[in-house]
Amino acid sequence: MKIDRSRAIQFLLDNLVWILLLLTLLAFSLLTPRFLTVGNLTNILVHSTVLGIMVIGQSFTLLTGNFDLSAESTLGLAAIIGAFLLVPAGEPNFGAGLQLSPLLVVPIMFAVGLAVGWINGLFITRLKMNNFIVTLAMLIILRGLTMVITEGRTITGLPETFKALGAASMGVVPISIVVVGLAFLAASLVTRSTRFGRDLYAVGGNRNAALASGINPDRRIRHVYLISGLLAAFAGWIMLGRLGVGATRMGEGMIFEIQAAAVIGGISLFGGRGTMVGALGGVLLLSTIDSGLNLLRVSGFAINMIRGLIILFAMLIDAQKARYRAPVANSTYVTPAVRQTS
Amino acid sequence: MSATIEVPIDSNYVIEVKGIVKGFPGVRALDHVDFGLRRGELRGLVGKNGAGKSTLVNVLTGVYPADAGEILVQGRLVTNWDTTTATRHGIQCVHQHVQLVPPLTIAENIFCGDLPTSRSRLVDWDRVYREADTRLRQLGLQIDVRRKVEGLTVAERQIIEIAKALFAEAQVIVLDEATAPLPKNEVQMLFSFVRQQRARGVAFVYISHYLEEIFALCDTVTVMRDGRNIADRQVSDLTQPELIRLISGTQLDTFTRQRPAEAGQPVLAINQLERQGAYSSVDLVLRRGEIIGLTGLEGSGKDALARALFGLEPLGDGDVRLDGKAYHAQDPRDALDQGVAYLPRDRHGYGIIGIRPVRENVTLPILRRLRTALGLIAGKRERHVVGEYIDKLRIKTPTQEQPVEYLSGGNQQKVVFAKLSSTNPKVLLLDEPTQGVDVQAKLEILKIVDQLAHEGSAVIVIAEDIRELLDISDRIIVMFEGKIVHEFEVGDPGTTVERILSAVEGTPVNA
Repeated sequence: MKIDRSRAIQFLLDNLVWILLLLTLLAFSLLTPRFLTVGNLTNILVHSTVLGIMVIGQSFTLLTGNFDLSAESTLGLAAIIGAFLLVPAGEPNFGAGLQLSPLLVVPIMFAVGLAVGWINGLFITRLKMNNFIVTLAMLIILRGLTMVITEGRTITGLPETFKALGAASMGVVPISIVVVGLAFLAASLVTRSTRFGRDLYAVGGNRNAALASGINPDRRIRHVYLISGLLAAFAGWIMLGRLGVGATRMGEGMIFEIQAAAVIGGISLFGGRGTMVGALGGVLLLSTIDSGLNLLRVSGFAINMIRGLIILFAMLIDAQKARYRAPVANSTYVTPAVRQTS
Repeated sequence: MSATIEVPIDSNYVIEVKGIVKGFPGVRALDHVDFGLRRGELRGLVGKNGAGKSTLVNVLTGVYPADAGEILVQGRLVTNWDTTTATRHGIQCVHQHVQLVPPLTIAENIFCGDLPTSRSRLVDWDRVYREADTRLRQLGLQIDVRRKVEGLTVAERQIIEIAKALFAEAQVIVLDEATAPLPKNEVQMLFSFVRQQRARGVAFVYISHYLEEIFALCDTVTVMRDGRNIADRQVSDLTQPELIRLISGTQLDTFTRQRPAEAGQPVLAINQLERQGAYSSVDLVLRRGEIIGLTGLEGSGKDALARALFGLEPLGDGDVRLDGKAYHAQDPRDALDQGVAYLPRDRHGYGIIGIRPVRENVTLPILRRLRTALGLIAGKRERHVVGEYIDKLRIKTPTQEQPVEYLSGGNQQKVVFAKLSSTNPKVLLLDEPTQGVDVQAKLEILKIVDQLAHEGSAVIVIAEDIRELLDISDRIIVMFEGKIVHEFEVGDPGTTVERILSAVEGTPVNA
């Protein structure tokens, strides 16, 4: 059989993220000897952890065709509330003075994430508000709330046990890498092989058909916002461990990177398409590029510009996919190989 | 058998294509197709789904470039044929899926992109509405042009769309299954309108799966099969069975429903059901193994009743019993759990999830049953279940992983049937089950419906095609303005198309 050009292109587009990742790794390895070292590669993975968790949460909402722009602020708010409750009041810690046990604080952080998700879901499904605007407003509100709590100060003196998730290692392997790896595994299993996961694809693929197939789309949408909120709080915990302090601007501006990673990884902004494994590829690609550019001593301003270009590139890929799908979708007859029936 | 039309090779073709070849990955969609249209000709274009009709139209309208072949307009060769050239030469297409802007008014849609302005360069709204109204009246349509398109029924939208194409000085208008979703009374309006335009020299290509419409409207018909033009005929030289044979390439079996020997137990009993603005005093008893045909005009309450029984709309007041127990569905899940399944009229809107594979579409409502102890979906069992339905319903798909949108209309519909049957429903509500599928697929779908009834489901088929209902149902119930006005026993001498149609129109039927 002759090689089918448009199918080959489709295959390349579907697996583009892994091809790009390989090419990027190759390019940076040639450009700087400091890139391909165990230390640096581990570093890339560690940098991927927070982004990774956020991309999982975002992918859940995107699969149903919904955005959660508020995720980065949810991360910031949960982290700051956690830090605030953990440390003493006044200089130099700037906490609430409660010094609660991490065993209590972690559930509280999760509750904050879930509460944000619950509110988002409520506005979007029960009050029929547009998801983009609701979460955009939430993005601004929560960041403001975070600033109100800290009054712009950095919260320090977090207990070591609490920081372990983001900072400690099991032998040579950082705990966070293992945890995030497991999270991707679980997310992949949930989306691929559970009824819940299937429902999400159905809701994102055709909400009305999902409804007529016995799925409650609104309920599923509320669920994905809960997941997104919870995972943002979890990412906040990891980030606190990594930074060692609670900063007002934690997570700020991250949403663009989250969206870019998900889309480059093949999660469609229109819902119903994409896999968690692909999203992982997107995360690794962005972290690799960041790390490589840092090693090459590219200026921070230029890195920002390059990030913008990457987002543009991600959208370009998404658009091209649609283009290469279109001719087949428009023609009503495609049954290349008829299945033999007895 | 009649001879093909003598084709004088001269310029009285408005448009002619010669030797058109067009390929897509894995298929040759058009294989050296010749096709020509004269001024004022009404040409039917028929063929199974996948025969190449849509591709031919897409080549004619410049959407797809042809891989090989020539396009001649008024006898002159035109190169670089694309949508702009096609439009400039007056080739217009009215698609099956209406392309209007819903939040705008009818008038705005008619003048879309070309709103008349006053000298101050502002939109002259007075003129917009006045002219839209005048133009529509010229077409014999009386409709408030200030209404928003989103408030119109599908039928009304389609009429506006067709009118719009006619306003744009077209020489050739392709009606792509334009009447498929239109109710009977409006089909007549469309047809007389088309004839009127033809008298002024406009040529029409009419694509439809409803062969009666081809016979009612067209002078000539082109039959396509496997990407080739296999016959250009005068309609008057053909009978319907001959045409069906040309389309399918084989002798089609006919379908006759085998009625169950004895009446089954009542499954669904509706007593004095009423919902304001939808239906009132509905009494109906549906038995196991029975197929009831339900018909009526747009807004007669027939669709609302089905949707309400499935939990997509409120049910209203009255007594509904399923197997003797009070029945009410909160939402579709609730209905499915109690054994009521529904095939929606709008396949793309409510039936399939086009971008997802066949497998996922079929098992969507039964994933609960396919879970292992760990809560994961048992992949092997799922593939087995889907494989069984693909065999049983003869769904043509390369693999279970094929996105449903890539299947033909008939096979898409079969996927929806597989999805419904997987729930083992006691009651099946089928809203226009054969809409937009070809002759062959239609027959197969009727067989599936019959088979499901024999397996014990009680079926209500909602359709506007009376002949189809006569083929498939045991009884035909007619609704008019929300009420059941007449019930016909199929097989009785008094059960004729004419009498059913007059009941549909609301005229009293004498016994």
